[in-house]
Amino acid sequence: MDVTLNVHRFVEGKKWVQKYKIPVTVGMTVLEALTVVKEKQDPTLSFTCSCRSSICGACAVRVNGNAELSCEILVENLLKRYDTDTLTIEPLGNFRVIRDLIVDWDPKYARLKKIKPAMEPKPEFSAETGCKQSPEEFNKFKKYAGCILCGSCVSECNKNTLNEEDFLDPFVFVKAERLVADSRDRDPKAHLQAVQDAGLWRCFNCQECTAKCPKGLDPAGAIEKLKEATFKMGLSQGVGGKHAKAIYDDISESGMLDESKLNIKSEGFIMAGMRLPMALRLMNTGKMNPLESHPVNPDIKTIQAVVKAAEKEAE
Amino acid sequence: MSTTISRRTFITGATAAGVALAAGSYFTWNGQNIPNSVKTGDVTYDVLIIGSGGAGMRAALAAAENKDLKVAVMTKLVPTRSASTMAQGGMNGVTGVTDPADSVESHMFDTIKGGDYLCDQDAVEYFAQRAGENIFEMDFMGYPYNRQEDGSFHQRKMGGSSHPRASYFEDRAGHAMVHALFEQCLKHNIDFISECQMLEISMDGDKLNGVIAMDMRSGNLLGVAAKTIIIATGGYGRVYWIRTSNPYSSTGDGIVAGMNIGIPFKDPEMVQFHPTGLSANGVLLSESSRAEGALLINKDGERFMGKYAPEKLELATRDIVARAIATEMLEGRGVGEGIHAGVYMDFRHIPPERIDERLGQVRDLAQRFAGVDIKKEMVPIAPTCHYSMGGLEMADFHTGASRVPGVFVAGECSCVSVHGANRLGANSLSEVLVFGHTAGDGAAAYAKEHKYEGSQEKMAQDCAKWQDKFKEVTTRDRSAGKTVPEIRDAMVNTMWYKVGVFREETQLQEAARELSALEKEYEHCYVGDTSHVYNTAFEQYVELGNLLQVSHSIVQGAIARKESRGGHSRRDYPQRDDVNFLKHTLIFKQDGGYRTEYKDVVITKYQPKERKY
Repeated sequence: MDVTLNVHRFVEGKKWVQKYKIPVTVGMTVLEALTVVKEKQDPTLSFTCSCRSSICGACAVRVNGNAELSCEILVENLLKRYDTDTLTIEPLGNFRVIRDLIVDWDPKYARLKKIKPAMEPKPEFSAETGCKQSPEEFNKFKKYAGCILCGSCVSECNKNTLNEEDFLDPFVFVKAERLVADSRDRDPKAHLQAVQDAGLWRCFNCQECTAKCPKGLDPAGAIEKLKEATFKMGLSQGVGGKHAKAIYDDISESGMLDESKLNIKSEGFIMAGMRLPMALRLMNTGKMNPLESHPVNPDIKTIQAVVKAAEKEAE
Repeated sequence: MSTTISRRTFITGATAAGVALAAGSYFTWNGQNIPNSVKTGDVTYDVLIIGSGGAGMRAALAAAENKDLKVAVMTKLVPTRSASTMAQGGMNGVTGVTDPADSVESHMFDTIKGGDYLCDQDAVEYFAQRAGENIFEMDFMGYPYNRQEDGSFHQRKMGGSSHPRASYFEDRAGHAMVHALFEQCLKHNIDFISECQMLEISMDGDKLNGVIAMDMRSGNLLGVAAKTIIIATGGYGRVYWIRTSNPYSSTGDGIVAGMNIGIPFKDPEMVQFHPTGLSANGVLLSESSRAEGALLINKDGERFMGKYAPEKLELATRDIVARAIATEMLEGRGVGEGIHAGVYMDFRHIPPERIDERLGQVRDLAQRFAGVDIKKEMVPIAPTCHYSMGGLEMADFHTGASRVPGVFVAGECSCVSVHGANRLGANSLSEVLVFGHTAGDGAAAYAKEHKYEGSQEKMAQDCAKWQDKFKEVTTRDRSAGKTVPEIRDAMVNTMWYKVGVFREETQLQEAARELSALEKEYEHCYVGDTSHVYNTAFEQYVELGNLLQVSHSIVQGAIARKESRGGHSRRDYPQRDDVNFLKHTLIFKQDGGYRTEYKDVVITKYQPKERKY
């Protein structure tokens, strides 16, 4: 069986899609397929790789629109998944491309630096005697210590695609949660404040990062945990936090969102006032009526029980 | 403290061809992977570290404790892609937290015995005394150790160790170490010179100039001036290409650069083979397979370990099992063809639920890469090159210094010698911590006491030489010769079949001749990519040149050592010979050839005994 690879090429400013056809062998990964092309057909095809055992993070690419670690994903399985004999291979999304499938990590490291990315040990610990931490405390963050910095999570991140200037990459949030939840750290608030300042509340909740993480780390879950922590640690959350609080209050009190007040509660009177034209349009089409009294959901008792149960579980 | 070389001196010193190069702007720069001062040639580093694995980053942090020193880490990839990340088991060190009965003497003896008495015992003592403190220090740096009930990190017992002394993070001990070190490097604003392939160390007579490297992104040649260099570029398992568990980047770049300025390659013949790599691609199937009862079966369906280790059978040590498998294959009882030949590992008698519970990753790897469900079928495996005990000679283990003033070595590319003829599991990560730390301190101390005396002119000439070479090599016609992968495959065939698990005189001599022929073919090989932007074809050409030199050194060392010890098995000399070979091999590069010398092994506390487990 043969596979056709449509590889997105980019060399010295020129962009094109190049077709390669190679035979599929047993256990052939996408990385091996690219290597076969480079060694047998076209030495100019460029990509990076190192460990070929899914731990170094060097070889992530986009296959048919989804980020994958090329060293671990089998060509055969992809052909079955997409029911095709052709795969489209592109560099990771939301990265600047340097050449072919090779992308620029510098801006990512710069953003990693924003969150004070190293643990600051509590004063009772020392370099000579190490730290203390219970197995339970260790379990709280160990999952997030498994990030391999492959960049798969950010490839399809919708928020980063829209505007990356006021946000971070999902893996940066993973690193932040790993530090905030580490009981050895003397000042988790410092990391948290930095994350919040860098755009914590702007996540779209689209879950693309969680779907793409090859290590199953759930970056979107890390973002939620960080948001929770801003409440627990008493940080003032700004618009994002107030918005979440307003929704929480509405749901726990009446079981329904009060859309006419939501905006005011989140942004305050002045900022909300600037949105008057939109409010008028909504009223005009009957989507919002400020004169109507806010109804109470008939199932309010059940809803309150659900909220209570969720809160208990979160603890 | 640091000597700044102005851009003007740099340019005026350059040859005509080198003018633009020396200013560092032959091509347009492409991103911020390199500090601006390196681009303009306006910096002289006090400590320049080559390699961003565990040893390199640990060394950088140690050197950077001296705030007035300029420190940078150069890497051919970006940080965190190194072989260190692949280490699974843990890092050995006597801390007493899990087993208070453990002692430095015990760690020392286990290491020396495991190394088949080729270890320098004073160096092992230094190592064993410091491994524990480095483990505590990593805790303070944020290493996510698995914990025990009293809140300390937990330590587990690895093969060849008498006590539990390996601290770890799950089965990803190396990954956690590299990321913790990287976090610290970010915090301390260590300069990274990323995606730069080192081409050579530039010397002016016996004075160190710095490092010549290619910025992969732009294709510009960099001459990075440095008072001291720490070579921390890792191992060279890729001389066996797919028959190794090492990453693609383990190509011995630093060893060759070091040899070319006069540092000897110590004990190159000491290569560790792990018995159970997948035949398909060399990826490891964990030792836990055999621990859980997997059997080794030859082509005739025979469980053959009884012939080699009647008592321990499949549970004998790595070297014994690797040799047994290799013998079956040599004597025609293997399965599969060529480089993918091997024997079977059989899990079918193990209850399926136990496979799911304890061998999930093994099952996954076999399914993925070999297309085999180990619950139903046997999986082909073969020995795979795992670790290089040899490396650049560390002349002084108290400082990490090599015999060339200003040049230091650390990690797998170095030979201290702590591992001797065979390394114990979980000693490699502690080695990179201890000697990375030591070399960082050593280089910093040297930099404080010395002025930069290198020659900018010479460095500019070296840059120009490589610029010309790049042009000549990359523009060769397809008819010029064999391709880089063709020569590499031929090299691997020579190395795997003639310098693999077993060696013998005639085959080693053949290997030496074949490698010489390949070195000739290499001189006019076809690279096939002319672009100056991220030319990985050229990078692989450079790496192949390094692999050939490393291969030749291994063969030279293997011919000279007419005995069997640790990782080195001679069929024609099956016994260890302490009378003639209780000494280190030193291979020097000289006048285009290789010269062999010897150096005595340092014995302090433990007289050599037969190694039995």
